[in-house]
Amino acid sequence: MTDAVHPRTPAGYAAVTNEVAGIPLDFPHRTTWWIWFLCAAGLLGVYIISAWVLFVEGVGIWGNNIPVNWGLAISNYIWWIGIGHAGTLISAMLLLLQQHWRNSLNRFAEAMTLFAVTCGGLYPILHLGRPWRFYWMAPYPSTMKVWPQFDSPLTWDFFAVLTYLTVSLIFWYVGAIPDFASTRDKAKTRGAQVFYGLLALGWRGAARHWGRWRQSYRLMAAIAVPLVVSVHSEISLLFASGPIPGWTSTVFPPYFVLGAAFSGFAVVAMLATALRRAFGLQNLVTSKHLDMLGRLTLACGMMTAYGYFADLFTALYSGRPQELETLHDRIAGPFAWAYWGAVVLNFIPLQLLWRRRFRSDPVVLFLVSLSVTIGMWLERYMLVFSTLFRDYLVSSWAPYWPSFWEWSLFAGSIGLFLTLFLLFIRLLPMISAFEIKEAGFEEKEAAHG
Amino acid sequence: MRDRALHKGAVRSSAEALAAAKLAGRTGRRFWRALEELTDAPAFRRALEAEFPNAFAGVTEAGRREVLKAMGASLAFAGLAGCTAAPHPDALPYVTQPGDLVLGTPKTYATAVVFGGYAQPVLGLTHEGRPTKLEGLPEHPASQGATDAFTQAALLGLYDPDRSKAPRFMGRPTDWSGFDAAMVENAERLDATRGEGLRLLTGAVSSPTFARQLAELMQRWPLARWHVFEPVNQDLRLEATRLAFGRPLEIQPRFEACRAIVSFDDDFLGPGAWQTRNARAWSQARRAFQGGRGEARLMVAEPAPSLAGAMAAERLIASADEVEIMVQALAGRLGAGPAPQLRLTPRQAQWVEAAAQALQRNPGAGLVLAGAHCDPAVQALALQLNERIGAIGKTLGFCAPILLQPPDGTRSFEALAADLAAGRVDTLAILEANPVYAAPADLDFPAAMQKARLRIHAGLHFDETAAACHWHAPLEHALETWDDARAVDGRTSLIQPLVRPFYAVRARSVFLQNLQGRLGGDPRAILLATWADRLGGEADPRWRETLARGFVDEPAPPQTPGAAGAPAVRLRRRGGGITVLIRPDPTIWDGRFGDNPWLQELPKPFNKLTWDNAVLVAPALAAQLDLKNGDHVRLSAGGRAIEGPAWLTPGLERRTVVVHLGYGRSLPGQLADGRGYDAYPLRTSAAPWRVEGAAAAKTGGKTELASTQLYTALQGFDFVRTAPVAAAQPGPPHPPPPSFYPPRLSGSPQWGMAIDTDTCIGCNACVTACDAENNVPMTGKSQVANGREMHWLRIDAYYEGSPDDPAFFNQPVPCMHCEQAPCEMGCPVNASVHTHDGLNMQVYNRCIGTRTCSSFCPYKVRHFNWFDYTLHDPPELRAARNPEVTVRSRGIMEKCTYCVQRIEKARIQADVENRPIRDGEVVTACQQACPTEAIVFGDVSDPESRVSKLKAQQRNYSLLEEVNTRPRTTYLARIDDGATHD
Repeated sequence: MTDAVHPRTPAGYAAVTNEVAGIPLDFPHRTTWWIWFLCAAGLLGVYIISAWVLFVEGVGIWGNNIPVNWGLAISNYIWWIGIGHAGTLISAMLLLLQQHWRNSLNRFAEAMTLFAVTCGGLYPILHLGRPWRFYWMAPYPSTMKVWPQFDSPLTWDFFAVLTYLTVSLIFWYVGAIPDFASTRDKAKTRGAQVFYGLLALGWRGAARHWGRWRQSYRLMAAIAVPLVVSVHSEISLLFASGPIPGWTSTVFPPYFVLGAAFSGFAVVAMLATALRRAFGLQNLVTSKHLDMLGRLTLACGMMTAYGYFADLFTALYSGRPQELETLHDRIAGPFAWAYWGAVVLNFIPLQLLWRRRFRSDPVVLFLVSLSVTIGMWLERYMLVFSTLFRDYLVSSWAPYWPSFWEWSLFAGSIGLFLTLFLLFIRLLPMISAFEIKEAGFEEKEAAHG
Repeated sequence: MRDRALHKGAVRSSAEALAAAKLAGRTGRRFWRALEELTDAPAFRRALEAEFPNAFAGVTEAGRREVLKAMGASLAFAGLAGCTAAPHPDALPYVTQPGDLVLGTPKTYATAVVFGGYAQPVLGLTHEGRPTKLEGLPEHPASQGATDAFTQAALLGLYDPDRSKAPRFMGRPTDWSGFDAAMVENAERLDATRGEGLRLLTGAVSSPTFARQLAELMQRWPLARWHVFEPVNQDLRLEATRLAFGRPLEIQPRFEACRAIVSFDDDFLGPGAWQTRNARAWSQARRAFQGGRGEARLMVAEPAPSLAGAMAAERLIASADEVEIMVQALAGRLGAGPAPQLRLTPRQAQWVEAAAQALQRNPGAGLVLAGAHCDPAVQALALQLNERIGAIGKTLGFCAPILLQPPDGTRSFEALAADLAAGRVDTLAILEANPVYAAPADLDFPAAMQKARLRIHAGLHFDETAAACHWHAPLEHALETWDDARAVDGRTSLIQPLVRPFYAVRARSVFLQNLQGRLGGDPRAILLATWADRLGGEADPRWRETLARGFVDEPAPPQTPGAAGAPAVRLRRRGGGITVLIRPDPTIWDGRFGDNPWLQELPKPFNKLTWDNAVLVAPALAAQLDLKNGDHVRLSAGGRAIEGPAWLTPGLERRTVVVHLGYGRSLPGQLADGRGYDAYPLRTSAAPWRVEGAAAAKTGGKTELASTQLYTALQGFDFVRTAPVAAAQPGPPHPPPPSFYPPRLSGSPQWGMAIDTDTCIGCNACVTACDAENNVPMTGKSQVANGREMHWLRIDAYYEGSPDDPAFFNQPVPCMHCEQAPCEMGCPVNASVHTHDGLNMQVYNRCIGTRTCSSFCPYKVRHFNWFDYTLHDPPELRAARNPEVTVRSRGIMEKCTYCVQRIEKARIQADVENRPIRDGEVVTACQQACPTEAIVFGDVSDPESRVSKLKAQQRNYSLLEEVNTRPRTTYLARIDDGATHD
C-alpha cells in the first residue's frame, strides 16, 4: 500500500490518536448528535411500548395467522442478523487475511454487528407465544430432565445466534482494549478516567500485553469467521428443513450467508460514508476504503444474484406444482412487488459499482448501499411470506398483512439500533487508532525495507 | 372468545333504576328525606323484593333461635351441596352404576334434546354433575349412536350465558311469585269466559305430555285455541300427502333400501331433524354399493348446492320452476301422470331419461323425492311417481304426522294472526316460539300481537317476542327437565334431566299448569302421569327400564295410503327477475341457535362462512351485478326488500339467489345481536320459500365476511380423488416412497384413521363433536376473518370444473399423525413428539410458541392460541368443558390428538382386564358423531381391524403423498358412479 493517508511519523500517530480517541472526550457536533439521539430514543420508546403491549396482550396483536405463522418478526430477524454479518467478516476474516485497510472500518463495523445482532436476536423471543419461556431452548440441566430437541434448526439457531453475539462482543471488546487505554490516558475528568480505565483492564502497552493481546485477538477472529457462516446457514435451515415449497431447497445456506454479507457490507458502507462525512474522517476512511467496500458489496451482490438464479432453477427443475405455484406467486403473483423490488433494488444500482469512480464516490456508494439494504429487506419479506401464505392445501391458503404493532416494533428496532450506535460513537473510540498506526508503521517498514 | 361484546354483566337492576328515577334531580337536604320516602314506596319495595327475595322472607321477624337454626341448617346444607349442580336424584343412569357418585367417573344418561319438535335421542355424559358431552343413543334407530351438529351443540345451549335466568314483567326481572299471582288472577278470568280469547301459541311439538296437558286445558277452557308457529316447517309436505292421499301423512323414506334416488331439490342429507337418520340409512345403501351389491345411484336436480347434491352421481342445475317441470317430465316418462308438452333443454331431457332408466333398472328400490319447499302439487306428483315405480311400502313408508297438528293445520298461525288483528284474543301465551322475529312479513304479527290484553312468553331466552310480552317466564333446557318428545321415526323419548336447573326456571309442563292458575308442579310427576297407564308408576320396572333406555321402543305405526291421486300441476314458468330461495341457515337454523358460539363459528357447508349469513349469488350473476364477496346486494320483491352481503357460490343457478334465515337479530347484549342480515322481511305466508321476480342491485355497502376457507377451487390438485367402484376392493399393498428416516414405529397398537370421502356428506357433526370433546375455543368473527379459527377438525370443501357446473367434494381434515412428521423435527423444545403407539402429540405445557411446527406442517392442521381465548369465558361456559382435556392458554399450539383421552381410557380398562385393546373399543369423537360412519379409527398394526381393512382398499390414499410424511390418517377416494355408469 502506498496510499499517502497513513500516518507514518510519530506526529502522525499522535494525530490519529487525537482524532479517534478525542471524539468521545471532546465530542464535535453535540447538537446534531442530540437531535439524532432524541429521534433514536423516541423510536426506542416505540419499541418498548410495542414490546410491552405484545407481552401483555399476546402475539395475536400481530397480523399472523395460520398458515402465515411467521410474520414480519421473522423476516426482520433474518434481515438484522444478516446485516450483522459484515462486521465480523470485515474484522475477523480480513484480519486473518492481513488486509490492513480494514483497520479504519473494523471497530464501528463490529459495533454495528453487535447492535444488529441484538436487534435481530430479540425478535425471535418477542415472537414466541410464551416469550417468558424462551430459555427452554437452552440446554440447561432442568429438574425435569428435558433437553432441547437437537434435530430442530431452531435449537441450533438459538445456539448460533447466542454464540455469535457472545463471540462478537468479546472480539469487539478485546480489539478495543488498546484504544480504551489511549482514551483513558487522554481523559481529563476523573469520571472518564475511571470509566475508560475499567474498560482498558489495566492496559499499559507492554510488549507482553501486546503479545497476549495479539494471540487472543487472532484466536477470537479464527472462532468468529466460521460463526458468520454457521449463523445464517442455521437461519436458512429454519426454512429449508421443512417440507414447504419455496423453502425446501439446498441452495438456501450459501444463499442466505451471501445475502447476509451483501446486506451487511451495504450497511457498513452506509455507516462509513456517513461517519466519514460527519466527523471529517476522510484521512482515515479514505476513498481506498470506499473502493474496497464497493468491491465487496459488488462481489457479494453478484453471488447473491446467483442464489436467486439457483433458487429459480431449482423450483423450475423440480417441476412440482406447488413449487411452481410459489414461484409464480413471487414472480407474477401477489408478491411480485416484493420480488421485483428486491431484484431491482439489489442488483440494478449495484452494477454502478463495476466502475472505480462510482465505488469511491461516497454519495453513489451510500445510495447504492441504501438501495441494497431496502432490497434485501424486501427479499426477506418475500421469502418468508410468499412461501407460507400458500403452501400445499388450497384450503389453508390465506393472506397476511402486518399489523400496526409489527410495523411499530420494526421502526422501534431501528430506534434501538440507532440509539446504541449513537451511544457508541459518542462514548467509545469508533475507529481502531492503534491498528491504523500499526498498519501505517508496517507499511513504512515495508516501504523502507 | 375474544371479540364478543357479550356477557357484560347484568342489565342495571330494576331497584337501582327505580331509585335513580326517584332521586333524579334532587339534591341536598331533600335528598335525605327523599330516600326515606323512597324506601317506603310500594314500587320500590316490590322491586327490592324481586331482587333480594330472601331479605323479605320473614327473616326480619326471626328471633335469635331462628337465626341460629337457620345458620346451622345453612352450614349443613352447604356441606351437602358441595357440588352444587348434582343430577336429579330420580334420573336413572343409562348403565348400572354404583348409587353414589364416584368422582372422576362420568355417568351417562339416556335422554333427548328437542329440535323443531322432534326428539334427538342422546346419551348425556356428566362429570361430577356437569353435562359435558352428548352422543347419539346407540340403541335408538333414529340415531344409532350418531348425531348432527345441532345436537352436539345443544350442550352449549344448556350453559348459554344469554339464557333467561329469571321471570320478567314488562322486561324487568322479577320473581316467580308475581308471575304466579298474575296467572291465578288470569285463570279466574278465563274460567268465567270458559277460555274465550285464550290463545296458546307454541313451536312445533310432538310431546305426548304436552298433548295430554293441552287436552286437559281444552277441557277446562273449551273456547281456548292452540296454534303452532314453526318458521322452518314441513307444512307443504303434509299438504302434498293430503293432496295425494286425502289425509296428511309424514313420509318415512327408507334410504337403506334405495338403489336409485332421484331428488328434485330435496336435500335429504342436509341439516334438519331427520339428517342423522337419513344420512345413516343412505350410507348403508352406499356401502352395499361399494361392496358390489347393486348400485346406489343418486341423481339430484336443484337450483342451489346442497349436501345431497354434492354427493350426487349426476347433479343438474335447474331453477326452481324448471325442477318442478322436470318432475312432470319424469312422471310423463314413467307413465305416472299426464305427459304435457314440456320444453326441456337437451341436458334436462337427458337427465330425466337417465333418472327414468335408473328407476326402471331398480324396481322396488327406487325413490323419487321432491323438496319440502316445492309446490305441494309437485310433491304430490312425486308421491304418485313413487307409487308408479313401486316404491311405496318398500323404499317409502308413511305414518301419521309425528308432530302434533293444531286445529287449523298448516294455516294455524295465519288464523291466529287474523284473530289477533281482529281483536279476538284476550290472553296470548307463547311457548318456545319467536313470531315477533320470524313471522311472515305480510301478517304484521308484532303489531297485531299488541291487541292482546295479556301477553305471556315462555322460553329459553328473553328474545324479541319476550320483549313484546307483559310476562316472560324462563323455561328449562331439555338437559335439565323432565319431558317427552317423539323422534323422526315416531319413537317417544323420555327426557330426563342430566342436572338440576341452574337458574330459577320452570319446566314447560309446569308452565302449562301455572297458566291454568295451578301453582307449583313437579315436571316428573306430570310426565309420570302421562305414562302411568303404559309404564306403570315410578316404582314399576317398566318405567325404570324405559327411563334408563331413554325411549319407548314403538315406532310410529305405518300407514298404508290408498292410491295416490295428484291434482294437475300448474305450470309456472318464471318471468323476468331473480328467484330468491329462502332457506334455514345451515348452522343457525331459523335463528334459534344464534347465541350458540359452536354453531356460529361452525363453517357453513360449501362457503365455510362463520358468524354471518350471506346472499349466495352465482358467479355469473355476480359478474353481471359487479358483485364481489361481501358487497351488499339489495333484494326487493313485492314492496319488501332486504340487504345483505353477497357471496359468490359456484354451482348455483345463474338467476337464483339464496338467502338464509336466522340472522339480523336485535337482542341487545346477546351473542346473536346484530350479526348478519335478516331475511325474514322477504318472506310471506303465501311464499315462504321462494320469491319470484325479485330485483337485485348492488348498494355500495360492504361487510367483511369471515370464511375459514378462502379458496375452494381444486385447481387441478389431487387432494380429493375419485376411483372406479372396483377400487373399493382390497388391492396389493402400496409401499410408501423411500425415506431417509428409518421406520421407528413398531409394536401394537398403532393408531390410524381412514376417512371415506365416498360417504362423507360434509354435515359438520364431527366438527362440533370435536369442539365439544376437546374444549376447542371459539375465537369470534374477527379472529376467524384473520385466519385464526381453532377447529381441530375442519371439512375442506372443494369444487372442480367450471364454477357454473362444478363437482363438489368434502374432505374432513384432522391431524394426519404423520409417521415422519415435519412438525416434530421443527420443534426446538420437544413439545411436538411421537408416542410409541403412533400418535403425534403436542405437549402443551412444554410448548413455547415458536410456531415452527405449524410452518412446517403441510396440512396446516395446527392451531395457535394467539390470545388467551379461554381466560375470559364466563363461568357457565367453563362448566361445559370436558375435564379430561386440558384447556389451553395463550401462546401455545394445539391440534387433533386422535382423542387421546379416549385411547387412554380404553388402555386403562384393557390393562385392568389384562387384555389388548379391542378393535372398536376406542372411538374418536368425530367418528362417534358421524352419521354416515365415514370415519373409522383403530389399530393399523392389526390387519383384521376395521381401519386396516379399509386402508387395504385400492382407493385408499394419503393426502400429499409426495411429501412423504406417511400420514396415519388416510382417505378413501370417492367412487365415481357418474354418467359413465351403464
